[in-house]
Amino acid sequence: MMKKKSDILWPLGFGAVFLIIWQLYGFHRLLDLKPFQLPVPSEIIMTIFKNLEKVSGDCLLTVTGAIAGMAIGSAIGFAVAVTATLFPKWGYGGLTVISAFNAIPIVALSPIMNRWFSTGMGQKIGVVTVVTMAAMAINAYRGLNDLKPFSLDLMSSYAADKRTVFFRLRLPSCLPSVFTALKINITSAMIAAIVSEYFAASTSGLGFGIKDSLRKAEMAMGWSYITVSAIVGIILYLIIQAVERRAIKWHASQK
Amino acid sequence: MKKNKATAALLWTAGVVLLWEGVAFFLANILHDKMANAKLPYLHSIIYTIAANFSEISNAALITVSKAATGFALGAAAGIMLAVIMSISKTAEKIAFPYLIISQMIPVLGLAPIIFNLVRNMDLSRIIIAAYLTFFPVAANMLGGLKSVEPEKRELMYSYAAKKRSVYIKLMLPFSLPYLMTGLKIAAPLSITASILVDMLGSKGGIGVKLLYSLYGGEKDIFWASVLVCAAIGMLSCFIIILAEKILIPWKKTSSGGEE
Amino acid sequence: MNNTPEITIKNVSMVYNDKGRDVTALSNVSLEIQKGEFISLLGPSGCGKTTLLRIIADLLQPTSGTVEVCGKSPREVRLEKKYGIVFQSPVLYDWRTVRKNICLPLELMKIDKAEQNNRVDALLEMIGLEKFQNHYPNQLSGGMQQRVGIARALAIQPEILLMDEPFSALDEFTREKLNEDLLRIWRKTNKTVIFVTHSIAESVFLSDRVCVLSPHPGRLSAVVDIDLPRPRTKEMRESPEFFNLVTKIRNSFEGV
Repeated sequence: MMKKKSDILWPLGFGAVFLIIWQLYGFHRLLDLKPFQLPVPSEIIMTIFKNLEKVSGDCLLTVTGAIAGMAIGSAIGFAVAVTATLFPKWGYGGLTVISAFNAIPIVALSPIMNRWFSTGMGQKIGVVTVVTMAAMAINAYRGLNDLKPFSLDLMSSYAADKRTVFFRLRLPSCLPSVFTALKINITSAMIAAIVSEYFAASTSGLGFGIKDSLRKAEMAMGWSYITVSAIVGIILYLIIQAVERRAIKWHASQK
Repeated sequence: MKKNKATAALLWTAGVVLLWEGVAFFLANILHDKMANAKLPYLHSIIYTIAANFSEISNAALITVSKAATGFALGAAAGIMLAVIMSISKTAEKIAFPYLIISQMIPVLGLAPIIFNLVRNMDLSRIIIAAYLTFFPVAANMLGGLKSVEPEKRELMYSYAAKKRSVYIKLMLPFSLPYLMTGLKIAAPLSITASILVDMLGSKGGIGVKLLYSLYGGEKDIFWASVLVCAAIGMLSCFIIILAEKILIPWKKTSSGGEE
Repeated sequence: MNNTPEITIKNVSMVYNDKGRDVTALSNVSLEIQKGEFISLLGPSGCGKTTLLRIIADLLQPTSGTVEVCGKSPREVRLEKKYGIVFQSPVLYDWRTVRKNICLPLELMKIDKAEQNNRVDALLEMIGLEKFQNHYPNQLSGGMQQRVGIARALAIQPEILLMDEPFSALDEFTREKLNEDLLRIWRKTNKTVIFVTHSIAESVFLSDRVCVLSPHPGRLSAVVDIDLPRPRTKEMRESPEFFNLVTKIRNSFEGV
């Protein structure tokens, strides 16, 4: 128990010291910054509460886009993984092509989606979809195909058909990898949604908020948006982790 | 088997190219979409544009890539260093580990405009942002590697009474190399993304600037050419790391050598 | 045989704490081992045989009791690099070729290059893997990997070879072949060998003496002299004397 306590106290203490130095303008002195360039933590928190309605509205918008895009992207990615598993000869090449999508910079995607979709939401969902496809496809494929040794042999000893093998063996054993992909995707979905808003025609959302406040030199407001997006990112991640814990109790990673 | 996979990938690439051309044709000649040229121009015409403006576009891309590469190198070095320090000192690990985990949950790229605003120097902020985006995945993966060294492998070193330095040089670092490469593979396109993003936030002379100007200036050809080049350098960065991995980790090959 | 023992184990006990419960892994073990002797620690899992080996190797510290090797503590002997250890798995470094794996301890001891090469060449010949010297471990079979592990342990020219179930993961055929190889190497180098195993036949075939350990708590329950003549041959495995010894040792467990 004592060990547990120090595990929490060390990082917490470090974080507190960091915030206190920041609050007391330590970083301003160190990096030669004016107070208006880098708002202190208390100012950021005050700003969040003062603009709670606007910030939370923008936040909701971005999160909606991120989750919708992630759902579509993950579904497509999973479908690709399943296809690649069922038709290994040709499917695997498709996986390679999809994984190349992984390396396309989000910033290059956003303007394209801008042209395809007239609404900010459509554009956001479009970008997030493309960004989240690859991670799911790759991870799900791995899960569907890296089976425990002899488990396929066991199935064929029961003379199980392809369908049974898929539903009884492959699908359950790919769950851990699917959750790994979802955890990667939730973060990249938020990033993609925010970055797409930097360049969107729309005038709302966390990304637009960050950019607009900086343009208007409202640094505290910009930092509030950053803080909120960080908190939302953590919460979404923890939600997926909690679902994972319930869904795959049997897996070694959950012990 | 390997050849088969290569042909499949090649055919798929050909398929994507055909699909692109097909959709472009469909938009332009069947839907008669007036925006067809903006929504999806023919792939061959984009490539033609790149060829026609090659020196201009490649110069812009080079600026973006070189800054990304500098940041990538710095961030990777810092990430490796932190991971090594964390593996040596329990206290350092306790302090930094939760933050490394959290860093994977928050949209770090969101901070880019803020850093750009603080630094006010486009080259420097390009490097800083690329570095800090590289830092997290590299540190996390490297630490993962250092921590997965099997106890027996360490005991062997202990039984030889090896110095800490030798343990790291001969065991810990080579063992973690595959993990490090995974981190670098994630980080490489990120650092390119970061560099392009800073271009677009208001720099001069990068590929992102080309992209942004052509986007608002209505030069459709240049816009699409820039987008394609951005995608290409992103993929290229990943490909370089994969190539480096192949060269640096020859023992990963699972060719069957000896049977008794 | 010399009368002053090389290794003296006196009243060694090992107690560790498992979830608030004290578990006695070894209780009051005493044993003397002569120089050049081949001795086996035999017993079922949980009898503390590996624990005892690790205490001798200075990988674990006993709760009470002492181990002396030529009048020195295990730590001093380890620092003098007089132990060669072969683990249960080969513990080869994947990024090093067979040759470089055997070379590893020599690099650490900063032995000069020419001498390194001479020793590694001789060892490669001894284990019969000259042709595979530039292969990576992943390209070798399990038996070949374990032979590399043995060569690496011998590279530092240790006085004592400590082997922790080195062949337990191998199939019966490979295991018997490696048993013979090990005896051939042992005859050539004349090291003291402490060999942990859970195979009665293996311990009888290899050893001068078999120390039988029993679990709960781990303790030394019998020491059986193996008076089969040396060099031992494959055919001896079929001899009545061999079966008698196996039976004798098996019976020493029955009473537990």
